[in-house]
Amino acid sequence: MGESRRGGCFPPMDLLRSEAMQLVQLVIPIESSHVAVSYIGDLGLIQFKDLNAEKSPFQRTYAAQIKRCGEMARRLQFFREQMFQASVSPAAKSLTQNGIKVDDLEVKLTELETELTEINANNEKLQRTYNELVEYKLVLQKAGEFFYSVQRSAAAQQREISLQNVSGESIDTPLLVEHSMSADSSKPVQLGFFTGLVPREKSMTFERILFRATRGNVFVRQVAVENPVIDPISGEKVEKNVFVVFYFGERAKNKILKICEAFGANRYPFSEDLGKRAQMMTEVTERLAELKTTIDAGLALRESLLCTIADQYEQWSILVKKEKSIYHTLNMLSIDVTKKCLVAEGWSPVFATKQIQDALQRATFDTNSQVGAIFQVLYTRESPPTYFQTNKFTSAFQEIVDAYGVAKYQEVNPTVFTIITFPFLFAVMFGDWGHGLCLLLATLILIFRERKLANQKLGDILEMMFGGRYVILMMALFSIFTGLIYNEFFSVPFELFGRSAYACRDLSCRDASTVGMIKVGDTYPFGVDPVWHGSRSELPFLNSLKMKMSILLGVSQMNLGIILSYFNANFFGESLNIWFQFIPQIIFLNSLFGYLSLLIIVKWCTGSQADLYHVMIYMFLSPTDDLGENQLFPGQKTAQLVLLGLALVSVPWMLLPKPFLLKMQHEHRHQGQSYVPLQGTEETLQAEGNHDPHGHEEFEFSEVFVHQLIHTIEFVLGAVSNTASYLRLWALSLAHSELSSVFFDKVLLLAWGFNNVIILVVGIIVFICATVGVLLVMETLSAFLHALRLHWVEFQNKFYEGNGYKFCPFSFTLLGDEVE
Amino acid sequence: MGFFVTTLIFTVLGIISVLCTRICCNKGPSTNLFHVTLIATATVCCWMMWAIVYLAQLNPLIVPILNEGE
Repeated sequence: MGESRRGGCFPPMDLLRSEAMQLVQLVIPIESSHVAVSYIGDLGLIQFKDLNAEKSPFQRTYAAQIKRCGEMARRLQFFREQMFQASVSPAAKSLTQNGIKVDDLEVKLTELETELTEINANNEKLQRTYNELVEYKLVLQKAGEFFYSVQRSAAAQQREISLQNVSGESIDTPLLVEHSMSADSSKPVQLGFFTGLVPREKSMTFERILFRATRGNVFVRQVAVENPVIDPISGEKVEKNVFVVFYFGERAKNKILKICEAFGANRYPFSEDLGKRAQMMTEVTERLAELKTTIDAGLALRESLLCTIADQYEQWSILVKKEKSIYHTLNMLSIDVTKKCLVAEGWSPVFATKQIQDALQRATFDTNSQVGAIFQVLYTRESPPTYFQTNKFTSAFQEIVDAYGVAKYQEVNPTVFTIITFPFLFAVMFGDWGHGLCLLLATLILIFRERKLANQKLGDILEMMFGGRYVILMMALFSIFTGLIYNEFFSVPFELFGRSAYACRDLSCRDASTVGMIKVGDTYPFGVDPVWHGSRSELPFLNSLKMKMSILLGVSQMNLGIILSYFNANFFGESLNIWFQFIPQIIFLNSLFGYLSLLIIVKWCTGSQADLYHVMIYMFLSPTDDLGENQLFPGQKTAQLVLLGLALVSVPWMLLPKPFLLKMQHEHRHQGQSYVPLQGTEETLQAEGNHDPHGHEEFEFSEVFVHQLIHTIEFVLGAVSNTASYLRLWALSLAHSELSSVFFDKVLLLAWGFNNVIILVVGIIVFICATVGVLLVMETLSAFLHALRLHWVEFQNKFYEGNGYKFCPFSFTLLGDEVE
Repeated sequence: MGFFVTTLIFTVLGIISVLCTRICCNKGPSTNLFHVTLIATATVCCWMMWAIVYLAQLNPLIVPILNEGE
């Protein structure tokens, strides 16, 4: 890698550049490999390269172990589901680390699983019997009532008939009755019946089908059960009807049986005899009570088992995850031909060398290995991953930058400036110290409860807010500052920093609303003079101020971006980029927009009436014309001519020399190459063995030229459009202050004017809702997005390539965050 | 208070906060440089904002015209 030959003239700074990375090779004896990898995982500072990329997961060395871990994970998942069902929550990470071995854990998990499934099966069986008995009891009750009423009516009929028989044949005795009665008595009919329960939604069809199948030779009677019962087979709560079916004959019986089966109607034996029925009833009730206690005991057993699992669930789960990730990592290492050691390659930060060596040594010692592990640094031309060491404050800002693109290895990291400029530009658009205080309070709550909130699961939005709490803190602080500058507290100005500089022209103050007031004292020392608020000329003044401010801030930030490109070029030793990119760029931007900024400041300082639009437009259209009354300083015409000339020169300066010089360099290098002896064998072997060597790349002149052309056009047009883009600062800040003043004047003051408590309360509620909903939430979001854009596009396109990749070390601490 | 006095105040505040971070969390030269950069950027941003608003009100071309009602 040879980082030493590169270098800036500046001392190193945290976060400015990626940590220096190196490609390291570890040769670990096979007996200590597991322990070594687990120590390295604890350390979390190596990103292993997959040396078996061509092998499928099943062909790898430790496929079997991974399968075992997967099986264990599945068991844990099963326990998790069971715990969820029983609403037993796993205990928080227990601090007691009883060093359970993985093999023991596997045995234990298997045992627990069998035990739990057994208990579950038993419980299910018992529950089913219990449900069946409940249904049976219902049948006994309902059908019993039915039989009882039928019997009573039958008995009544019998009595009537016998009465009639006694009285002899009367004229009104129906002839048929006697016949049928006599037929009945002569040949007793074998009537059979079934009793059971059928789901209520199917009951109508059930009855109809029964009727059709037996051609009407059936008698069905149904009684609705009030409460839904649990179906023994499906275990769900269903509304059911108790039915009684009377039939005649063997064929009908078979048909009815089949139909019952098809409809999921559970049949239960039933006796006509009252005594037997009563006996059954008591039996069933007894058994139900018995079963209830058995089931309760079973459930208690299950719960206690689940509780013991829950106690250690987290610990086991972490252990299994660790184990799985260790084998996963081991699978990425290549096995030596002698099968005695594993060879690992990976990226690690240079500063971690000592720690890694220590970890390897510990592993060798702990496993009593005969041979120690070997640690060596490899040289490669491959681009290393980018690694920034962030803390809880800087990480959110780094993520904002990474969302656009991860920095190329060791290029300047915009985060260093973004930490300040991002919240600052946000605050320029969100300038109100009342709103700033609200934001500050909200984020301080998050920050003070940090420890507590970090460990619990939050909702999506709250999670996002929590992640960006320090960003919001900075945004709030800067909003308070800009709010003081804009002199707005919920759009109300205060005379905090002295008296207003303006006063009426005379005592009567007649002119104040026509000609205007006059500046009598010193300029208001800090921020906008409170007198402007609510005056007729407020908008013209603020517009002019905020527009010019946007341009000044924008030009400064773009200049910072171009200067950072110098730091990059200087660091990577690319003098071409300094001479033919950085210098013409900075000349071009400043000769046009830097000059505009200068004019703005000169105009403010001198109080000149010059029209800056006119000056800028005619600087291009007719640069040789006299400026007349628009002249701001002597010699302005000459200065403008020089600046225009510089701007015009800098365009071809950016475009032409670089591609030609690159071509020359390439030819020079190519020519020299045939005479240069081979480089160090190790490096060439590495380079050829692993990666495509960069030295022999094709040089396409047209491609380079087109690339440079695009870059130049982009910069020249971008200088104009980016400057214009910064005007969003003005627009959003204006929108914010206008909205908040509308809410204040039209809601709060209006409600105040009615002199009515109820209206006032309603007004205050509406005002608070509008302030929170529109200004604190929506305006915050929109200002955030615009600040984001200004950084991603207008600032970062001046220097940031962002085509690197992130350093993702093998680390146990990152395992917990994975989505399950 | 003139332009230069307030500018001086900003500078002094910036230097004081640099000294504070240096005393409170001195964590090696590269971290210190990082903190200095942060504070310098913040100070420059705030000063610039103040200076712009101050200069814009120095020689007013537009004066406040009160509303009729007031």
